[in-house]
Amino acid sequence: MTGDLLFQQYPFVPHIWDEMKDAEAIRRQYLSIYETVSKLSLQDLEKKDSLASELFMSQGITFTVYSDNEGIERIFPFDIIPRIITSTEWEHIESGIKQRLKALNLFLKDIYNEQQIIKENIVPAALIATCPHFTREIFGIQVPHDIYVHIAGIDLIRGDDGRFYILEDNLRTPSGVSYMLENREVTKRIFPDLLASSNVRMINNYPLLLHDNLVSLVTRQTEDPVIVLLTPGMFNSAYFEHTFLARQMGIQLVEGRDLLVDNQKVYMKTTAGLRQVDVIYRRVDDEFLDPLVFRPDSALGVPGLMSAYRKGNVAIVNALGNGVADDKAVYAYVPAMIKYYLNEEPILPNIPTYQMKNTDEREHVFANMHKMVVKETNQSGGYGMVMGNSATEVELENAKKAILANPRSFIAQPIIQLSTVPCLIDGKLQPRHVDLRPYALCGPNGIDIVPGGLTRVALREGSLVVNSSQGGGSKDTWIVDMEGGH
Amino acid sequence: MLSRIADSLFWLHRYMERADGMLRLLKTSYILSFDKVQTNSITWEPALKIFTSLSPQEIEVLKKNDTAALQYILTDTDNFNSLKVIVTRARENARGVQDQITKEVWEQVNHFYHLINHPALPEKLSGPDAIVVIDALIHSCDQFCGITDSTMPRGQGWNYMNLGKFTERCLLTAEFTSAFYKKIDFDFTNEQDILYWRSLLLALSGYELHLKNYSNQNHNYNVAQQVLFDRNFPRSLYYAFERAHRYLLEITATNPVEGTAKLDRAFGRLHSYVKFSDLAIIGDPGLEKYLLIIRKELNDFGKLFGQIYFSYS
Repeated sequence: MTGDLLFQQYPFVPHIWDEMKDAEAIRRQYLSIYETVSKLSLQDLEKKDSLASELFMSQGITFTVYSDNEGIERIFPFDIIPRIITSTEWEHIESGIKQRLKALNLFLKDIYNEQQIIKENIVPAALIATCPHFTREIFGIQVPHDIYVHIAGIDLIRGDDGRFYILEDNLRTPSGVSYMLENREVTKRIFPDLLASSNVRMINNYPLLLHDNLVSLVTRQTEDPVIVLLTPGMFNSAYFEHTFLARQMGIQLVEGRDLLVDNQKVYMKTTAGLRQVDVIYRRVDDEFLDPLVFRPDSALGVPGLMSAYRKGNVAIVNALGNGVADDKAVYAYVPAMIKYYLNEEPILPNIPTYQMKNTDEREHVFANMHKMVVKETNQSGGYGMVMGNSATEVELENAKKAILANPRSFIAQPIIQLSTVPCLIDGKLQPRHVDLRPYALCGPNGIDIVPGGLTRVALREGSLVVNSSQGGGSKDTWIVDMEGGH
Repeated sequence: MLSRIADSLFWLHRYMERADGMLRLLKTSYILSFDKVQTNSITWEPALKIFTSLSPQEIEVLKKNDTAALQYILTDTDNFNSLKVIVTRARENARGVQDQITKEVWEQVNHFYHLINHPALPEKLSGPDAIVVIDALIHSCDQFCGITDSTMPRGQGWNYMNLGKFTERCLLTAEFTSAFYKKIDFDFTNEQDILYWRSLLLALSGYELHLKNYSNQNHNYNVAQQVLFDRNFPRSLYYAFERAHRYLLEITATNPVEGTAKLDRAFGRLHSYVKFSDLAIIGDPGLEKYLLIIRKELNDFGKLFGQIYFSYS
């Protein structure tokens, strides 16, 4: 079979925005892919597909599935056809994310200091007080440059109207950026000519930007500051990413057991004695960071870390307590925050969100359960989610019971048909739903977003859940400057 | 350098050196297993003794079954010193220090790991492809050495890696030598022909050197001379101790913490035990004890070194 036939057989599904094809023809930004792929045979494409798998495997970009006491190495599924976003679309996304992050940073500063936004009744006090990630222990701590969210992985989706919506704000330890970077490296190997001729914007300066931002947080007067990446260890599913980033930035990768706190300063244990640490880019969740303050059973953190943080002797990235801003119930108030702090209208819209503790909204949701997705407010990774259109009656009833028992822990949103892109599956090009996670970096000089992001794909037909823990894969994401404008 | 990193680099190289030594011994044993007529055939016994913790009775049973012996030593995870286990540990150490080793070194360790974990491997080991598999694994070890040498920066990490590598080499040479001399009860007058010693020499990659250097027939003596004291033979005790000591001195000089003087004394004493010795001083019944002391003191040194530099948890 030739590539040309693959495109001819690509279905058009009404009421779903396909990013490659509208009802009539292939969209302009996908023409270069069409031209390249249609000249290839299916065997060529499958060869490229297996080359991509080998590249991931040989670099150890794998996760381990344990069974029968033996670990089996798996790669995260990668689809070779890139996803394309035009530079005009990108500029819209970029300005929307920058605006949103500015507001969220101001919100975090406010909520852990003056709490004006509560006093003025923009955000209900009860909502914040009941948020499990509102961290009283860090109240009043001054963070360098008033930056709380240094790294954000805000998830966007594209609805059937072709518009981008904010799905959720990941402001704690968003992961996946190494896949964004490695996907591009793999594409360079499998579609070198296509990439070179398509005016794709560069993304590989991400680690350098991040490193510059981390250096800017050093407060100690020293020529040779120590910046470390704190990992939970090699059994963490994102361990590859931790090593990747440490290597790309030239910083130390440490575990909790490599650090200690003495006299409110953090040190790492080296073969030449102790060395003071200035900045910790942590990939360990808040609750595990300091067993003296948070979970006492945590072996991943460093006892006394909070005392050093409070004293300002160490910077921690991202700041602690950010979970209050990416709570799924607080999400609904972000447009109000943008209005309140910036006096601007949100550039990127939210998805309508129903608060389950509000009786009217709850009844509306209960009456339309089949059109709703119910989410637990403090869950992520696709867990704690009930899709009304595919759940059984029993599951829906159970969801209702759970909501009634603890309404603050749930929100509901209308199910949005995510946009689709072509994927090479079972020897055919098939449409699959995707989202987009660009990575934004906030530093003292402003917000940088490398032009691209991680496109996550729901590989099962019809599925809207893109999380890797739920059978999702990923794609390289191209931001393309179109010749001759749009 | 973080203590944990130093620890992992040290052990990564110890395990890789052990894998290399094991594979060379296995290849020799495998090829010799075809020569059943050979008198005093040694076949799988030394390898089983050194790389497993089986009882003498179990070894007696296993040594007659080529495939079973090979699979037990290479791929059986019940054997805590099997190649599969060793390489998995090497890879875990490499994974823990991925940011401290070059991408090339990591990919090579990872490649080796996938090679030994290939689902078809145990089956291949039971057929005529066994030697192809062993060769591929040895090749992988060689590549690891070459890639490490050509990509790793010299410095602290390098010193820990090489100290690990050469202390392991000292131990392996002492173990191999001991196993082969034990078979003749450390009796230098019990003359063996070169075919007997060829297996030891091949396992240490020193057979050709031996043929070049020694023309008389006093093999028992010559072989011991070469594997213990030949200063140009890279797997001799003399050479491995020289190198290990050099890296240790670099480490103690750049990391002068409490206890380094003690460490220098302990290793210096042991090194001089090899450096200023010869077969006449050891005397033929003394070889067994001599090798035993070296192994024991090296292990003691390893413990002391770990206490001083790797105490992090």
